[in-house]
Amino acid sequence: MELLIKNGAVFDPKNGIKGDKTDISIKDGKIVSNVSSKATVIDAGGRLVMAGGVDAHSHIAGAKVNVGRMMRPEDTRSGISPRTKITRPCTGYTVPNVYAMGYRYAQMGYTTVFEAAQAIMKARHTHEELEEIPIIDKGALTLFGSNWPTMDFVREKNMDKLAAYVAWGLLASRGFGVKCVNPGGGEMWGFGKNVTGIDDVVPVFDVTPKEIIVSLMKVNEMLGLPHSVHLHCNNLGNPGNYKTTLASMELANQVKASKDRQVMHVTHLLFNSWGGTNWGDFESKADEVANYLNNHDNVTGDMGQMIFGSATTMTADGPKQYANAKLLHAKWSNGDVELEDASGVVPIYYVKQISVHAIMWAIGLELALLTKDPYKMLLTTDHPNGGPFVNYSEVIALLMSNKKRQEEIKTVHEAVHAKNKLPGLDRELDFSEIAIMTRAGTAKVLGLLDTKGHLGVGADADISIYDIKPDQIDPSVEHAKIKSAFSNAAYTIKGGQVVVKDGQITATPLGRTYWVDAKVPEEHHTEMMKDIVKKFKNYYSIQLANYMVQDEYVTHPQVIKTGAIPVEVN
Amino acid sequence: MQTVTIRPMKEIKISVEGENISPDKFGGKTEKEIQSLVAWMGNQKTTIGDLFSVKVEGSGPAADTKIVLEGDFSRVKRIGEGMTAGLILINGNVDMHLGAKMSGGKISVKGNVDSWAGREMKGGELIIEGNAAYYLGAGYRGESCGMRGGKITVMGNALDFVGEHMCGGEIIVNGNTGILPGLSNNGGKIVIGGNTSRPGSEMSKGTIIVNGKVEEMIPVFKLEGDEAVDAVTYKKYTGDVVVGGKGILYVK
Amino acid sequence: MTVITDALCPFCGCVCDDLTIVVENNKITDIKNACKLGAAKIMGHHRIEAPMMRADKKSDFKEVSYEEAINEAAQILFKSKRPLMFGWASALCEVHKKGILLAEEVGAIIDNTATVCHAPSTLAVHEKGLPTATLGQIKNRSDVVVFWGSNPVHAHPRHMGRYSVFAKGFFQEKGRKGRKVIVVDVRKTETAGMADEFVQVQQGSDYLVISALRAILSGHADVVPESVGGISKEQLVKLVDTLKAAKFGSIFFGMGLTQSISRYKNIDNAISLITELNAFTKYVISPMRGHYNVTGFGQVCSWETGFATAVDFARGAPYYNPGETAANDVLLRKETDAAMIIAGDAGAHFPADSVRHLARIPVVQIDPYWNATTEVSNVVIPVAICGVEVEGTAYRMDGVSLRMRKMIEPTLPTDVEVLERITERVRELRGE
Repeated sequence: MELLIKNGAVFDPKNGIKGDKTDISIKDGKIVSNVSSKATVIDAGGRLVMAGGVDAHSHIAGAKVNVGRMMRPEDTRSGISPRTKITRPCTGYTVPNVYAMGYRYAQMGYTTVFEAAQAIMKARHTHEELEEIPIIDKGALTLFGSNWPTMDFVREKNMDKLAAYVAWGLLASRGFGVKCVNPGGGEMWGFGKNVTGIDDVVPVFDVTPKEIIVSLMKVNEMLGLPHSVHLHCNNLGNPGNYKTTLASMELANQVKASKDRQVMHVTHLLFNSWGGTNWGDFESKADEVANYLNNHDNVTGDMGQMIFGSATTMTADGPKQYANAKLLHAKWSNGDVELEDASGVVPIYYVKQISVHAIMWAIGLELALLTKDPYKMLLTTDHPNGGPFVNYSEVIALLMSNKKRQEEIKTVHEAVHAKNKLPGLDRELDFSEIAIMTRAGTAKVLGLLDTKGHLGVGADADISIYDIKPDQIDPSVEHAKIKSAFSNAAYTIKGGQVVVKDGQITATPLGRTYWVDAKVPEEHHTEMMKDIVKKFKNYYSIQLANYMVQDEYVTHPQVIKTGAIPVEVN
Repeated sequence: MQTVTIRPMKEIKISVEGENISPDKFGGKTEKEIQSLVAWMGNQKTTIGDLFSVKVEGSGPAADTKIVLEGDFSRVKRIGEGMTAGLILINGNVDMHLGAKMSGGKISVKGNVDSWAGREMKGGELIIEGNAAYYLGAGYRGESCGMRGGKITVMGNALDFVGEHMCGGEIIVNGNTGILPGLSNNGGKIVIGGNTSRPGSEMSKGTIIVNGKVEEMIPVFKLEGDEAVDAVTYKKYTGDVVVGGKGILYVK
Repeated sequence: MTVITDALCPFCGCVCDDLTIVVENNKITDIKNACKLGAAKIMGHHRIEAPMMRADKKSDFKEVSYEEAINEAAQILFKSKRPLMFGWASALCEVHKKGILLAEEVGAIIDNTATVCHAPSTLAVHEKGLPTATLGQIKNRSDVVVFWGSNPVHAHPRHMGRYSVFAKGFFQEKGRKGRKVIVVDVRKTETAGMADEFVQVQQGSDYLVISALRAILSGHADVVPESVGGISKEQLVKLVDTLKAAKFGSIFFGMGLTQSISRYKNIDNAISLITELNAFTKYVISPMRGHYNVTGFGQVCSWETGFATAVDFARGAPYYNPGETAANDVLLRKETDAAMIIAGDAGAHFPADSVRHLARIPVVQIDPYWNATTEVSNVVIPVAICGVEVEGTAYRMDGVSLRMRKMIEPTLPTDVEVLERITERVRELRGE
């Protein structure tokens, strides 16, 4: 199968292409240097061409998402479209059904999405849902931050056993990377408590979040995993938490990356860049966080941008979610996973006239505008916590147009003038920077830049064409056109196959599930398993033999093999 | 002034979804245009004209349109859904979701209505001479607000969950109601002429007046004393105390 | 002889996964660790050997080929204007997926056995959410365990031993001795007999009692009368104190709450009680699901359609409104003009008027066993037994996904194959 995309105005930051008219040749699902005359030709007509979008953090599959659906029929009914000849029915807005999840990402030109968090014990469920999400390539990050084995090995200071556990946990969950959410907090929430900072000691297990984070970073690099530790900082959503965020980021200096990427990725920074001491004096500290990123190359972040309107907060930060529900008088679901982690789901409605919401909205944008290098600040909405992913085009338009931002600022609570820097920021990101924040940067952060996020030879043939001519449009003024173009791709090509044309789904192939198979020395694995066997014998409620995700649940695997590397410690 | 009279041409067993039977959808249309409006019956997509005889007199916009439903509409749902103006007169019984999400105009029913009449109503008036069923003037599953405005009057009785999640508007039931009227009331007014049970659970605002007997009170109300409303003396309760509610429950 | 260890039980929502199954000559000859109910399910009993059909429900069945039965089933569904596809709870998730697809294709209502069981719990979750935990969390931490309207000794025999009462856990090393067990029920059940405290509530008064507990908990004991639902105020106050004193409290509830007056509002109220208790100490609530994979249907249906059950595909897109789209809603209104009943016994568990209506319309049954539904069926298609002869996915009552084993080889087609063939035939009839 050969395809040739001609006359596209290509933005391929990895390969230094910034709008040049470049042809893209595709053969058998990969980008190649040229194709034969038999190739199908798509004339991009001078329109914007980028690699297919890559999302590093989105809650698209698994127990939390499904609880969200179950508790929100009012959300399900808000986004319904019937089945067509090639598509199943779509439902939902903040918690779409599996089909909508895949189709809507593809319609925006996205082709790779990673589920932000799965507990090992519930990974089978996550994969059942991932299997049914059409089109996109996908994967899931596995939670390790509050697991009993993690804390035991951290306390014992046994990095070999911890590395073996992480390797085994990734296999057991068919996970792609190490996710750490409010480390230590998941265990505290088992008795309704929480940690308040990285130095709190988790009782009985006798470890601190700081120790957990550093240890996981060490083993992550020992294993040479493609992605770095992916951290949801302690103290999320509490005024003043920026200090915890900075202290957490500083921990990255204790470990050296095993690859050409960050050693720590801090997620949805919007919720962790807060100053003040309470809701009254709450203010933005996005500048402090961005400043740290500007001065350090070993940490990256993503926005977690908030979109006004309906959202559903869902996270493994169980205690935070309970507090949220109480504050909002909202319905609340909680899902403790024995020996592993917690989770909470709470619907929310973000309102322009509520000062806290307006300040939050501005914080997300500040993070992107104040971080100089777009490779260090990825575009996310922490779907659906900040807002549903279908609104990414809104975020793109806001980042590219100060005019749009100023118009929006006029409609939100005036607190943004006192509590944020946003009104005074006039930076406007260009197409290249957007391509980095949504493709090249994400791929690099995930360790997938060889095949994703770029349009050079060897890349997967995942391409999006948008209905804008970059040399003929002024994004600052024509931000509405930017938004509508990025909402509905003119073409989305996945693995060399056209899956979207003019915003309509034309094919629904099944994508691949990325997971990491990490090797450790046999003795380390054997030693580690002794502890695991004991845990199953005494504490888990299922048998070890029934725990690990079986092959049947990952029918289109893309396995990345890694091995143990001695880690350099600073 | 436009008057449209419709009558089922045969017995309807599988319920018909009649959301196109509305002054907004009929107003200013010819007989032929109205006949070609879509109606679903089970999994069959059909037309108004296929199911009902249609007679049109005059023409006018929605606000000047009167729809008269003759015959048995007890298996026709969603009539008047989302209407903003005009009048619907139903001479018999009617199925679920009558006047759901309506924001204006008036619906008058001589017979009984099935469940969810006036669901998520925003305005306008709904008059039921017979009985209502479950979830009168209530919301949709999971929504925090049901009825927000408008007025529903039932001359007969209603079943459980009258005005669940009400945020505004007024519901008057002359007869008895089932259990849990005014559940999670957040700002509406409910008047019950007859008996009821377990009223006002989790109400945070709004008013419920019961003129008959309350079979069971939920133990979440504070008795404030006696108060006269429209020259009738009631026991006045405030609550639901558990949710810090400032709702008022008057019981004769 | 083969010995299968760590096998999973396809009977109740406990989905015990520590069974040992001995197989000889493709027959199960011994089962270890299962309770009586599970063992009986796995051993099986006399099953339907071949497909059968009858045009008139009063006549005897005639044995037919799978081809004929599948063709007839497809015809029935294809011609139907208001089909109902019901059951699902004793089948695997792989079957549910095929069922939902077929329901979409024929514009049917799809509903599961929860409709007479825990569907009210789902309605409550729409209102209040579900603050819960996996069963191991209870085993390791819970020191106050409440069974409300639930009698596990009878309906979930190994629940207390494996998860909630006798099990020893990390923070509950003493097992039973470290836990306080409270039973709230209308009569003294077997479970109440072994509890530390039995609270007897008047029939239909659970809602009032829960409200009273919430009032006391929120500091408003003054508005609570001297007696609520047959329980003295003094006892209610003491109960609240007991609940508050827990380090990790758990409430398990069953039909006593979901099926008595106020139904889903009982659960709704109970969930709010749990949420409010969380202001003082850790609490979770957990439904005691009946069939081993009723939870699975809710999960699959939720991720595929956005709604947990009772989904109406008549207009090509999912519509959900229990009270309108649940199985008995349409059956009691006599709207259903054809039904497929699979892995669920509507004939035994539905109200008499629903069953009477089923007797009037074409009914296709897909099940390994002859049961009450067979009596009102026209087409009967026997299949392999899920979880015994067919492997696949099931969800335990706490939402943990597990893979059921194949213990013996099937001799009949599977549910998945049958549904696939019916779907294919329906598409042919439609001219695709």
